[in-house]
Amino acid sequence: MTRLLPLALLAGLALLPLGLDANPYLLNALITTGILTIGAMSLNLLLGFTGQLSLGHIAFFGIGAYVSALTSLGFEVELGFGIRVVHEPWPAALGFLLAVVAAGLCGWLIGRLSFRVRGAYFVIVTISFAEVVRLVALNWVELTQGPLALTGIPALTLGLPGLGSWTLRTKVQNYYLVLAVGTLCYLMIARLVGSRFGRAMRGLKENESLALSVGINATRTLTVAAVISAAMAGAAGSLYAHYLRIIDPDVFLFATTVTMVIMVVGGGKGTLMGPVVGGLVFGLLPVALRPVMAPEAQWIVFGLVLIAILFVMPRGLVPGLAGLLTPRRRGEAPTGSAIQPVEVRS
Amino acid sequence: MRKPTLYPAMMSSLALALTLASGPARADAGASGAGPIRIGVNEPLTGPFAASGTYVVNGAKIAADEINAQGGVLGRKIELVIEDNKSNPTEAAAVAEKLITSDKTPVMMGAWGSSLTLAVMPKLADYETPMLVETSSSGKITTTGNPYVFRISPPSALEAEAFAPMVGKIGLKKVDFIVINNDWGRGAAADFTKMLKDKGVAVGLVETMDQGAQDMSAQLSKLKGSDADTIMITAAVDQLTLLFKQMSALGLKKRIITTGGSQNPDQIIAQAGGAADGTLHLTTFLPWYPDRTPNPKATTYFIEEWKKRGFQFAGVTESFRGYDGIRTIAQAIAKAGSTEAAQIKAAFWAVDFTGLNGQIRFAKSGPAGRESGQSKPDVYLIRIESGRVVMPEL
Amino acid sequence: MDQLLQHLVNTLILGGTYALLGIGLTLIFGIMNVVNFTHGALYTMGAYLMYLAVTALGLGFFLALPAAILGGLLLGAVIEFVLLRPLRGSDIDTTMLVMIGAGIVLQSGTLWIFGGVAKSVPTPFPDAPLHLGPVSVSWLRLFVLGAALALIGLTYALINRTRLGLAMRATFQDHDTAALMGVNVRLIYTATFAIGSSLAAAAGALLGPVYVVFPQMGGLAELKAFAIVILGGLGNITGAAIGGFILALAEELGAGYISSGYRDAMGFLIIIAVLVFRPTGLFARAERIG
Repeated sequence: MTRLLPLALLAGLALLPLGLDANPYLLNALITTGILTIGAMSLNLLLGFTGQLSLGHIAFFGIGAYVSALTSLGFEVELGFGIRVVHEPWPAALGFLLAVVAAGLCGWLIGRLSFRVRGAYFVIVTISFAEVVRLVALNWVELTQGPLALTGIPALTLGLPGLGSWTLRTKVQNYYLVLAVGTLCYLMIARLVGSRFGRAMRGLKENESLALSVGINATRTLTVAAVISAAMAGAAGSLYAHYLRIIDPDVFLFATTVTMVIMVVGGGKGTLMGPVVGGLVFGLLPVALRPVMAPEAQWIVFGLVLIAILFVMPRGLVPGLAGLLTPRRRGEAPTGSAIQPVEVRS
Repeated sequence: MRKPTLYPAMMSSLALALTLASGPARADAGASGAGPIRIGVNEPLTGPFAASGTYVVNGAKIAADEINAQGGVLGRKIELVIEDNKSNPTEAAAVAEKLITSDKTPVMMGAWGSSLTLAVMPKLADYETPMLVETSSSGKITTTGNPYVFRISPPSALEAEAFAPMVGKIGLKKVDFIVINNDWGRGAAADFTKMLKDKGVAVGLVETMDQGAQDMSAQLSKLKGSDADTIMITAAVDQLTLLFKQMSALGLKKRIITTGGSQNPDQIIAQAGGAADGTLHLTTFLPWYPDRTPNPKATTYFIEEWKKRGFQFAGVTESFRGYDGIRTIAQAIAKAGSTEAAQIKAAFWAVDFTGLNGQIRFAKSGPAGRESGQSKPDVYLIRIESGRVVMPEL
Repeated sequence: MDQLLQHLVNTLILGGTYALLGIGLTLIFGIMNVVNFTHGALYTMGAYLMYLAVTALGLGFFLALPAAILGGLLLGAVIEFVLLRPLRGSDIDTTMLVMIGAGIVLQSGTLWIFGGVAKSVPTPFPDAPLHLGPVSVSWLRLFVLGAALALIGLTYALINRTRLGLAMRATFQDHDTAALMGVNVRLIYTATFAIGSSLAAAAGALLGPVYVVFPQMGGLAELKAFAIVILGGLGNITGAAIGGFILALAEELGAGYISSGYRDAMGFLIIIAVLVFRPTGLFARAERIG
């Protein structure tokens, strides 16, 4: 089942633009939702599979967005001591790659620093990191234009040598790009989780001291997970920058991290499909609420739906619905480990 | 363990949600046909700018009702399609997309803050739909070459230019700045600095405060120790109130001049009390002296109508922009004689009438061939004295 | 020198309310293991309750303050009873998200009811500041400092001198043992959350009149409260009190002598530094409370 159903969802999403009659507003909502869903999937790697609640995830997303935008726009900064760095614009696709690398490096750095602490301390150190990055983006005006926003970011151009290139200007093109990147991330996470490394991650989540005693290197495992997770978030940020074509320090807002966490936990953390379903539900809920109620009321309903899901299905929508649809045999524990989060192959 | 029903069910509910979200299809209502002419309004109704965005929308509604009472435009009523951009640039772009493609509005007004407006601008070019910018003040909006942008609020460079003749009369010698740390504040500090230096006035510190920051004692203590005679401030009314209260608490007594057009002097008087006495403000609207505004009749009507609807008088310094904005759009539609976006865009260049704060008439701004429209409103210097707004004689 | 003195006075005044915010959060954190994302909303509610009590109810400033604090206490008890009690035993992420949801509901509800226009709370204090040599301070702010210190003292006494406080400390150390010893742990949780909430509301009620009251005022306050709690160490009340003053000092001096743009970064930089060099907080005795 875990093999077939994502495929069905993928097929559905791939066909959706045809059914939407190319409605640009809904496509736009799906694209931004898709980008955030990639962010949520990457967050799930940390939050769901290693159990480390990072509330600074938006930092990697934003770093990806800024790196990609600056690579493709060019910049000129004075670093002090008379050193000037001048960068001529490069193709946006290179920006995407650099965004992934830069975000991954930041993930490594933050992983090295913050995995010394656990639990609430970890939560807060990650929030702090994101806020510091936001304030740097806001105040380093020479590089980032600060609050004046980076505008005129070019659309992504994909090309293969000898085959020509395509600049992704239309909604439908961007939609399929996001879908492709999302699918790729999904497959990578699925592979990773099913590997030895994935078992090490889950081992740490379930029982850290036991995992340590069987020779799992906690800091290294967590750091690798953080690097991959941050790199994926950076990729999502790059997509965001080139799709929206403007970014300002508001991309680092704490509220966006909260949205991603809601997507992961609401959908089902530690499951492969959870962030995808959660992403679609919580990404599109505001779109669905928009025409029917006052703006303030939309937020209230958003909050109430979140609370309701956590009360009714504390493990998230995907395990919750799967649990509902599975006729429960007597004697089987209703919660706990009855539903395996993922298939474990080795 | 086969559970084939789960995901198809999810897919169909997803499709259902999307159908619901797209709302009833009214494709013909905006662009053609006999229904009302739809005008998109993209404003922050929740989030940090909720108060200002709501004021602008309420002003816009007054204009729409007035126009409809007089028979509408092109023999049809106008209908405002109001959407909340949540004070968030991503959302502002999404809202523009929705207004243009799903509500089929051929022209829009928005999006209050500069970063919100900047985020919308690529969409205008994509869909070749014009937007009237009512509040944003960043210079970038009309200088980047987006021919779909028509702005009635003054960018800070225009404000500085209007202030230039007053500099000598007030007797400025050295100026410090404290500005909100966004495009608006930083832009104002840069433009006023340039103008002041040209006039031979020295510029000292430029302090910033974060949007939403409440305690500025640290910055003010620093300004207190400086040898400048004047502090220029760019911020919205809430932070101005806080600044005045905290200045008074610190015993900081210097000449204060505020810029940016979101000062709302009545709210300052009500909330800062005596702490605001003697402060000077550059505003673009004079609701306290309707007779001295460019269009006394319209100003009086607008203020009466605002009060009749039970809104606080203090809101008019924001809401008049919504009112003027919709009237500008209505005139553009009338001049176009059409509800096609392209014709309306062309007709903006022919708009010419006396708004609440001066002649609304668009001049070209930005790179040749892709100019944006910029109207040049009046700028007034007012002073708060013993809880009243007065116009100092210069 | 004059400027430095002024910065130090500002620090004292700001630090008092920061400490109040931090203590409320650290209590809830320490005893209940709940990352309370309604703390900012409760701070906002305190300010609005103060505003309502002074303007609509006409209670007068000095009566309105205890009324607002009481309101925060009740609201906290309700939140605990309705949202947290049923979730006892679930993991920290679930309760945290429920708190985020509740925070969104409270904040948007405030916006819906009161609108976005900032309100100002009238006070009986004179506008003219008190001049002490080169330093000026408003009477209102002096009062706020006094009230904050009094409330901190009261919280201390409650935790160290009363049976309730004893039970709270016992629950903090080991809630199973505490339950075995006859402590009504469920009641302790409700009481803890209510007290923590009332401290947040008190901070809002005190700062509302100093600043202005608006629906989003709690956001920044909440992040600062987290910073303070980390500085002091989880569940460490003394640490949170000192942490409040340290954060205020860092912000004042940072804005005064480094760059005002990075004022709000100071707290977060401190957190990162502390966690890198002293991961359990500056006053690392997280095993005890009080």
